Amino acid sequence: MHSVLNPEFGDKIVTLTAAMVLVLQIAMAAQRWLVTNIRIFGLQSFLLAFIAGTIAVFNGAPHLFMAAVLTLLVKAILVPILLERLVDRIGIRQEIEPFINAPLSVLISGALTLAGYIVSESIYRSDPHTSSAALGHNTLAVAISLFLIGFFTMINRRKALTQVLALLSLENGLFLATISLTYGMPLIVELGVFFDVLVAVLVLAILVYRIRETFDSMDVSRMRRLQG
Amino acid sequence: MLLVALLIVPLAAAGLAYFARTRVAMEAVNLAAFTVILVVALLLGRQVLASGPVALWDGFFYADELSALVILLTASMAMVCSVYAVGYMREDERSGALASDDSGATANSKLRQYYALTPLFVFAMLLVTLANNLGVMWVAIEATTLASVFLVMFYGKVTSLEAAWKYAIIGGVGLSMALFGTVLAYYSAHNLAGSETLAGLNWSVLASHAAQLDKTTMRLAFILALLGYGTKAGLAPMHTWKPDAYSEAPVPAAAILSTAMLNCALYGLVRFYILSTRCLGPDFAGGLLITFGILSMGVSAPFVLVQRNYRRLLAYHTIDHAGIMATALGVGGALGSLALMLHMTFHTVAKGLLFLCAGNVSQHFKTDLFRKIKGGVIQAMPVTGVIFLMAILAIIGMPPFSLFQSEFLIVRAALAGGHSVASVLFIVFGMGVFAGALIHIGSLVLGPSDGAPAAEWHPWRNTPMLFLAAVLVVIGFWLPAPLLALIRGAARVVTGE
Repeated sequence: MHSVLNPEFGDKIVTLTAAMVLVLQIAMAAQRWLVTNIRIFGLQSFLLAFIAGTIAVFNGAPHLFMAAVLTLLVKAILVPILLERLVDRIGIRQEIEPFINAPLSVLISGALTLAGYIVSESIYRSDPHTSSAALGHNTLAVAISLFLIGFFTMINRRKALTQVLALLSLENGLFLATISLTYGMPLIVELGVFFDVLVAVLVLAILVYRIRETFDSMDVSRMRRLQG
Repeated sequence: MLLVALLIVPLAAAGLAYFARTRVAMEAVNLAAFTVILVVALLLGRQVLASGPVALWDGFFYADELSALVILLTASMAMVCSVYAVGYMREDERSGALASDDSGATANSKLRQYYALTPLFVFAMLLVTLANNLGVMWVAIEATTLASVFLVMFYGKVTSLEAAWKYAIIGGVGLSMALFGTVLAYYSAHNLAGSETLAGLNWSVLASHAAQLDKTTMRLAFILALLGYGTKAGLAPMHTWKPDAYSEAPVPAAAILSTAMLNCALYGLVRFYILSTRCLGPDFAGGLLITFGILSMGVSAPFVLVQRNYRRLLAYHTIDHAGIMATALGVGGALGSLALMLHMTFHTVAKGLLFLCAGNVSQHFKTDLFRKIKGGVIQAMPVTGVIFLMAILAIIGMPPFSLFQSEFLIVRAALAGGHSVASVLFIVFGMGVFAGALIHIGSLVLGPSDGAPAAEWHPWRNTPMLFLAAVLVVIGFWLPAPLLALIRGAARVVTGE
C-alpha cells in the first residue's frame, strides 16, 4: 500500500491535523460554555480518528484502522452524546466558572505547549533510529502538550462534569502519543483501553448525576466534608 | 488451566450474584466462588514452586512466584472478607443502614450491588497479577478502580459521594500517567526485532531484553509508572483519596481495598522497578522509591497522631505501610526484596484483621469517631477488644509479632545499603505512627466504659476475625515452609537471580 502513497505527504497531513487538535485543546481550556466544550471534545476526537486513519493508510499500519474506527465511534460519537444527554437531564447552568480567567488560561496553555516540545525533544534525541516511527516529532510534542494542558484544565475547573471532560482530553493526548510513537498499542490492549474509557465515562456520569442530586450543585470545591 | 479458572470463577460469580433473587443465594455464590478461588490459588502456588513460572497462550498470561504470592494473598483476603461480609451485611440490613439511601434503592438491590461488584473487583485484581502484557495489566488496574467506585459510594451518603468522586478522579488521572509510562516502556523497546507485536509489550520479554532498552525513555517511563501506580498504592502526595475511600466503603470492601488492592498496585510498581533496574541499574529507581516511601511515612505520621476517626486512622496507617513497602523496594537487593515480600504478607494479615475489628466496633457503637466512644470496647465486646489491641500492637511493629521482623529487616537492609538518612527518618516516622496508633486504639479499647451494652456473639463476623488473629499469632513464630519458599521465590524475581 505504501508504495503507491507517499509517506511524507501523509506526514504533512498528520502534522497539520495535530496542530488543529492542539488549537482545539487550548480552546477547550479557555472557553466557558459546557455544551461547546463537549462538542469541541467530539471534534478533537474526530480529528484524532482521522490522524489514526491517515497513518494507517500512508505508513502501512492497517491495525490502526481499528483504533481509528473505535475512536470515531466511542470518543467522537458515543461519549459526546452521552455527556450532552447528561447535561440535558440534570439541567445545569451552562457556565463553567474556572478558577483562572480565559486570557491567563491561554497563556498558561502556551507555556505548557513549550514544555511539551522540550520534553519530546529529549525523547527523540536519545534515539538515532526513528525508522519504525518516523513521524515528525511535532506529533509527539503535541501529544505531550495535550496531556499537560489536560492536567491544567483539570485543576482549573470546579465542576464535576468539566473535570470529566478534562480527563478525557488528557486521554486523547495519550492516544496521540501512542499512535505517533509506536503506531498504536497492540490491538487487544487498545480494545481494553477503549473499554475502560467507556466504562469510566459511564461511572463518572452516574457519579456526576448523584452529586448534582445530593449537593444541588456540581461544584466539587463545595465537597469539603472529609478532611484530616 | 489454573490460570483460566482464576479468571472465569470470579466473573461467573459476579454474573450469578447479579441474577440471584434472594440474599442467601447471593451469599452462597460469593462464599462458594471465593472458596474455589482460594483452592486454585493454593494449587497455583504449589505448581509454581514445583515447576517454575506457568504461562498460557504464548505467554499472554504468566504467573511466577511474585504473581503467585500476590494471588494467594488476594484470594485469602477475598475469602475471609466474604465470610465476614455475610454477617456485616445482615447486620446492616437489620439496622436499616442499607435502606437509608435517598436514591430509593432497596436493601435487596444494595446487597446485589455488593455481592456482584466484589467478585468483579477480585477478578480485576487477579487479572492484574496474571497479565504478562503491561498494557493488559494497566487495563486491569484501571478496572479495579472502576469496579470499586460503587463499593466506595455504597451507602449513598453525602460523604460517600465525595469519597467516590475523589477516588475515581484522582485514580483516573494517576492511572493515565501510568498508561503513558506503559506506552513509553513499549516505545523503549522499538529498536528490538519483533517489538511491534503483542508480545512486544510482554513483561517477560521486556525484562529479558532490559539491557537493550532505550535508557532515556525507560527513565521517563519509570517516573510516570511510579506516579501512576503510586497513586493507586496511595503514596504521598497522591494519597488524599485513601482515608475517604477506606472510611466510606463497607468494612469488608475497605479491608480488601487496603490489603489486596494495595498489593496489586505495588505489584505493578515492582514489575516496572525490575525493568528499570535491569535497564538503568538500581540507583535511579531506588532513589525515587525511597523518597516517595519516606515522604508517605512522614505525611501519615501527624495524621495518625491527631486522628479523630478510627477508620481514617487505619487508612493513614495503610499509607504509612505503603511507604514502608516502597522504601523496602527502593532499598532493593536480596535483603530489601525479601523484607518487602515478608512485609506484604504480614501487613495483609494484620491490616485485614484490624479492619474486621474496626467493623465490629463500628457496627456495635454506630459511630467511627473516637469522641463518641469514650472507651470500654473491651467491656462491651471482650473478644473484639482483645484482638483489636493485639492487632494494633502487631502492626505498629511490636515483637514478637511478625511485622517487627520485616520492619527490622528493612532498616537493616537500608543501613547496609548506605541509606543512613532514610533509615533514621524511617525510625523517627515509625515512632510517630507507633505512638499515635497505640494511644488512640489503646484508649478506645481500654478506656473507661460509658456503659454501652454488651455485644452478642456474631459467628459470621467473629469466626473470620478469630481465624486471622490465629494466623497473625502463628506467623509471628513460624512460617509454613511452602509459604516461605514462595516469599523467597518472589524476592528472587525482584533481584533476578
